[in-house]
Amino acid sequence: MNEVLLYVLKRLLILVLTMILVSFMTFGAFSLISGDPARTILGTEATEVQVRSLRHELGLDRPFMARYLSWLLGFFSGNLGVSFSYRQPVWELVGSKLMLSLSMSLLSFLMIILVAIPLGVFSYKATGKTMIWLRTIFNQLGMAIPPFFTGIVFSWIFGILFRLFTPGDFKGFSVSFWPSFMHLFFGAVCLSIPRIAMTIRMMRSTVISEMNKAYVRTAISRGNDRRSVLSRHVLKNSLVSVISFLGQTLAELVCAGIVVEQVLGIPGVGRFLVTSILHRDYPVVQTIVVILTFWVVFASFIADIINQVLDPRLRRGQT
Amino acid sequence: MTKKDSSIDPKSFLIVGAVITLLLVLVIIVGMFWTPYSPTAMKYGRFQSPSWNHIFGTDNFGRDIFSRIVKGAGNTLVIALSTVIIGAAGGILIGSLTGYFGGAVDVVLMRVNDALTAFPSFLLALLIVSLVGPGSKYSVVLALGLVFIPSFARVTRSEFASLRSRNFVTGARLTGAGHARIIFVYLLPNTGRVLLPALTIGFNNAVLAEASMSFLGIGVTPPDSSLGYMLSEAQSMVSIAPWYALSTGLSIVLLVFGVGLIGEGLQARAKEVD
Repeated sequence: MNEVLLYVLKRLLILVLTMILVSFMTFGAFSLISGDPARTILGTEATEVQVRSLRHELGLDRPFMARYLSWLLGFFSGNLGVSFSYRQPVWELVGSKLMLSLSMSLLSFLMIILVAIPLGVFSYKATGKTMIWLRTIFNQLGMAIPPFFTGIVFSWIFGILFRLFTPGDFKGFSVSFWPSFMHLFFGAVCLSIPRIAMTIRMMRSTVISEMNKAYVRTAISRGNDRRSVLSRHVLKNSLVSVISFLGQTLAELVCAGIVVEQVLGIPGVGRFLVTSILHRDYPVVQTIVVILTFWVVFASFIADIINQVLDPRLRRGQT
Repeated sequence: MTKKDSSIDPKSFLIVGAVITLLLVLVIIVGMFWTPYSPTAMKYGRFQSPSWNHIFGTDNFGRDIFSRIVKGAGNTLVIALSTVIIGAAGGILIGSLTGYFGGAVDVVLMRVNDALTAFPSFLLALLIVSLVGPGSKYSVVLALGLVFIPSFARVTRSEFASLRSRNFVTGARLTGAGHARIIFVYLLPNTGRVLLPALTIGFNNAVLAEASMSFLGIGVTPPDSSLGYMLSEAQSMVSIAPWYALSTGLSIVLLVFGVGLIGEGLQARAKEVD
């Protein structure tokens, strides 16, 4: 277990370094490009004095590194700056939205695991011409259906025809639980369809390449049948790639959710990101981008740790 | 590969995919010069459901939806192709140089590459669009093109790195071929089996990403039109004219499905060669 602990510490250090790098790059890019936010907020008719005082109020007259450091420190103490267009602390605006987006992603992640893993194993076993065609068409169609299209279709069928929820009228869980849950549920379904197809495809190719390895041939030549080799050895050995892939999926779901939130009218962090981009509200955009990237880095961190615990080969530095 | 899979010739995926894609591209190309109705004329009656005259019906302004889809798909196609060209050209250039020469530059560039791929590509594209200025098809092409460079670079690099010490390369060098000649004449054609499937996947990602961005209102905006933008329009009238959303969405699905099958066929063929 000591090796694992050491690995976790090492990985944690990389995690922190990556997060600092990412936040620095994002902050740098935005300060480079955003020009003069004070001028943007006040419009072209403002006097030089007005602009200068607002610039001072927003802290834009300080040197770059000072602004970055205070922003970074603020970030970890929950002070994320003030939105240009709302003139409110960013955290107040983003916090609850973030929870909503993360819940939808996790729900979708659960669906992917529950559906894709059994289907992935089944898909490996499916043989014969018809099955191969069915499998390929199913996978390719699944990957070709954009979540925002399923979102529109679901909100039409289940929202307008069956009246399970009113798309765009998200009141929050405390006000009306079921309609709010339906928003998240259908959002999660839209998100998971292409991901399920990708996961099945990925699992199949991992299992196939594992089945071609020498130890499988040995096991079969010693009289074991394919099925027991598959369930006893191959599936376990494929787990590492599957977990890495799922970690990546968990990371990408939040970003894929941006469009789904827009379609179903879920007031999540993605929808807020889009409005903020359109309003050029850089403190908000910057915060959301950094939070989402942290989530991505964090998901791959978790996947790596799980793999490290599960697979003794990784601990010994073999693959 | 396994014996099980050889019961289907990968060529059949390739053929079915190519037929679907070619038909769609043909319709789109014809649509660039001629559509059955004017895609902008607002005179065919509002919200007509699909009929023989208007196979996909008409929209809220009384425009023929089929003609609009053909025009919009043309824009989507051009954007996706330009994106893939930028991404592939940049990625192949970087990947072939680093993979071929190796050394410190290779290590540094691949580290940067890894850091970039840590960003989810859609988020990165949104970020670039928001920096360049949302709402124009040029920003979309630029953003998506840049975002696609790292993945092409990685694929090309690993191919070049594994091929550069093969006998045929050494042979070429002994006959006096220069680096440029070895890279472009000997190595690049041999990466095709890996790069071609990557191109189809890149194209599909570009179509879907462009559609998402235009759907969000930060991609293509009027007077330009694209399938994604049309879907966002269709959403507001889905209860009155569901055929608008369905026909537009299914057009995207069909395009991506056709190219996806081509990719599947190419990939299966590449594995057979191995």
